[in-house]
Amino acid sequence: MNAVAPVSGGAVGTRRRVALVGRANAGKTSLLMHLTGRLQRPVNFPGTSVECVEGDVAAGGCTLCLVDLPGIGSLEAHSRDEQEALRYLRDPDRGVALLCAVVDASKLVVELRLLAELRRLGLPIVVALSKVDVAAAEGFPVDVDRLRSALGLPLLVVNGATGEGVEALRQRLAGDLPPVEPLAVAGGGPAAPAVAARSVRRSRTDRLDALLLHPLAGPVCLALVLLAMFQLVFVVADPFMGWIEAAQEWASGAIAAAVPDGTLRSFLVDGIVNGVGSALVFVPQIALLFAFVTVVEASGYMARAVFLLDRLLRKVGLSGKSFVPLASSFACAIPAIVASRILDDERDRLATIAVAPLMSCSARLPVYVVLLAAFFPPHQAGLLLFLLYLLGVLAAAVTALVLRRTVLRGGVSMLAMELPVYERPRLRVVGAHTWHAVRSFLRTAGSVILVAAVVVWALGYFPRPVAIHEQYEALRAGVPATVAGDEERQRLDAREAAAYLEQSWLASLGHAVQPVFAPAGFDWRTTVGVLAAFPARELIVPTLGTLHSLGEVEASTDAPDARLTEALRSAKGPDGRPVMNGLVALALMAFFALCSQCAGTLAAIRRETHSWRWPVFTFVYMTALAWAVAVAIYQIGSWLGYAPQ
Amino acid sequence: MPSSQSEIPVPTAAPTPVTLIEALAGGATVHEVVAVQGDDPLARRLQTAGVWPGARLELLARAPFGDPLLFRVHGFRLALRRSEAQRVLVVAGGAGS
Repeated sequence: MNAVAPVSGGAVGTRRRVALVGRANAGKTSLLMHLTGRLQRPVNFPGTSVECVEGDVAAGGCTLCLVDLPGIGSLEAHSRDEQEALRYLRDPDRGVALLCAVVDASKLVVELRLLAELRRLGLPIVVALSKVDVAAAEGFPVDVDRLRSALGLPLLVVNGATGEGVEALRQRLAGDLPPVEPLAVAGGGPAAPAVAARSVRRSRTDRLDALLLHPLAGPVCLALVLLAMFQLVFVVADPFMGWIEAAQEWASGAIAAAVPDGTLRSFLVDGIVNGVGSALVFVPQIALLFAFVTVVEASGYMARAVFLLDRLLRKVGLSGKSFVPLASSFACAIPAIVASRILDDERDRLATIAVAPLMSCSARLPVYVVLLAAFFPPHQAGLLLFLLYLLGVLAAAVTALVLRRTVLRGGVSMLAMELPVYERPRLRVVGAHTWHAVRSFLRTAGSVILVAAVVVWALGYFPRPVAIHEQYEALRAGVPATVAGDEERQRLDAREAAAYLEQSWLASLGHAVQPVFAPAGFDWRTTVGVLAAFPARELIVPTLGTLHSLGEVEASTDAPDARLTEALRSAKGPDGRPVMNGLVALALMAFFALCSQCAGTLAAIRRETHSWRWPVFTFVYMTALAWAVAVAIYQIGSWLGYAPQ
Repeated sequence: MPSSQSEIPVPTAAPTPVTLIEALAGGATVHEVVAVQGDDPLARRLQTAGVWPGARLELLARAPFGDPLLFRVHGFRLALRRSEAQRVLVVAGGAGS
């Protein structure tokens, strides 16, 4: 049996590298999960595992080193994923000993073509036949015994959803290597078992599609799904975010109690804890969003959304598949940029990556909330918030259109996409996806946001002239030790912090840059806030808090700090006129809606495009666009007589 | 390479092949593929997706404004844009099933 094979199966202590290969959506990743008994790195829509994923498992005395490769459609690579997979299979250094061809029984005819091609690789093959139940439900039952004898390969039926048959497959993969034979049956011969008359008239998927792809009901259902997503991100995530904020406060308090006042404490509290907190606070939204996206995807609905929206998105130069990353971007652009790998055309993908950060992400919300609460009555605030989201969407549409007509002209945009059958999402798969998204966010964004927060802290903390400290020490010494005196001392502490910040490097930078933002109506303090927000936009809230002598102010998505809104309303410039009003707030919010203020996003773009060109381009165009729109709002508003006076 | 490289000779007895879009305009929903025009990534993509000579495409649904279109082919569902369907040459076939 193993005459051709270099390694005989079952030898104790040996390692055998087994590659799981098959078309996208064939169920490779869930199969790997069952084979290894662990949650592995999950699939990406529409079923491609975007990186080679490995998992070791002991079977029959030897160790199987299982590799889940991205889906392939043929031995000619069309997409980046396919190139990766084929390079892996053909690389002798990888030492692939055995192929486990995952064959989707519900698409048997096309699967068998691929299998015929795989045999040309000259590697032993074990076939794992999945989705036999789906094929039967769709009215095309498969005669497994006939298929097995037609193929002349070891063939095992598995169920990727329940794990049925996986143990037998594991034993077979660890067993004797099947001989490598040239294609025994030529051409379309093995396809015969699948070519049977359809046994059901309308499957469950047909009935659901009649509603969900209906010309009128379909779009309505899609709108409801999107609404549910926003509810989840903004309402359900809120208490969790509150807990993280509370934990951050507790950590700051604990450090303040343990570390004496000074540079170290400020570094730990305002630099480290603040930086870690700014990254962690988005984890609930990202986790919920990805759980939701995974449910929508695993149920089979995501492909329907792509189908319904393809024409609309193509009008602005994107593709229906851009919908997946763009929708994710309302929570956070970082996982969205990774999700744009589903776009097979490189120009579609780059255009999607470049415009995804324009969707108003959750980090913009605390900024909007503070400014809206400070300058607008509640009934206007809701409408304005909607318009700010719309501004991002419109800017994305225009930008995508311009990009596709200029630097990203041409390319062969393709849909040609399979719509899978509807299935009940599996908790394990949803959990794996969500955990993966959170981990990748923390890895990409967490470190960058932390570093950036420390840099901003240092710029705002140094230099520390002793004169300021002595001046306020003297003032504090004159305050009596009463309750009223304690309040006075707190006020002095806050003013001291503001005095330090006003002569810090960050403030010098703010004063230097302020002329650039003067046409948008920003004073130097707002400018400093804008500069501090470049690594992570929500940092403007604590920065403005310090600048307005308020001491600690937390960024919050629901209850803006009342002291900050009051301070913003009453802040006066050197000429005694108020520095902020509704118009300035509007210009500032538009700036935040459009500006690229997120180091994590730029890092993700760098990683996904393998060049500095796109992060630099994205940063420049978004910042320029944000500035231009903010200036336009302020100038037109001033001309209409709305400038602060 | 000539653009007609992947087309196969049409048996003289068969009706003249037309594009899938033209065939759908005639009202019938089931059509048999005779060829995919062109030799570019899109043509290859259609081939690997199962759109090859002999495959039968059954129209299942149209997205709003009639684009893209959803077909059943080899027992599964495949969404094609009109521009993609334009590449597919078919003869009307098997209307009875």
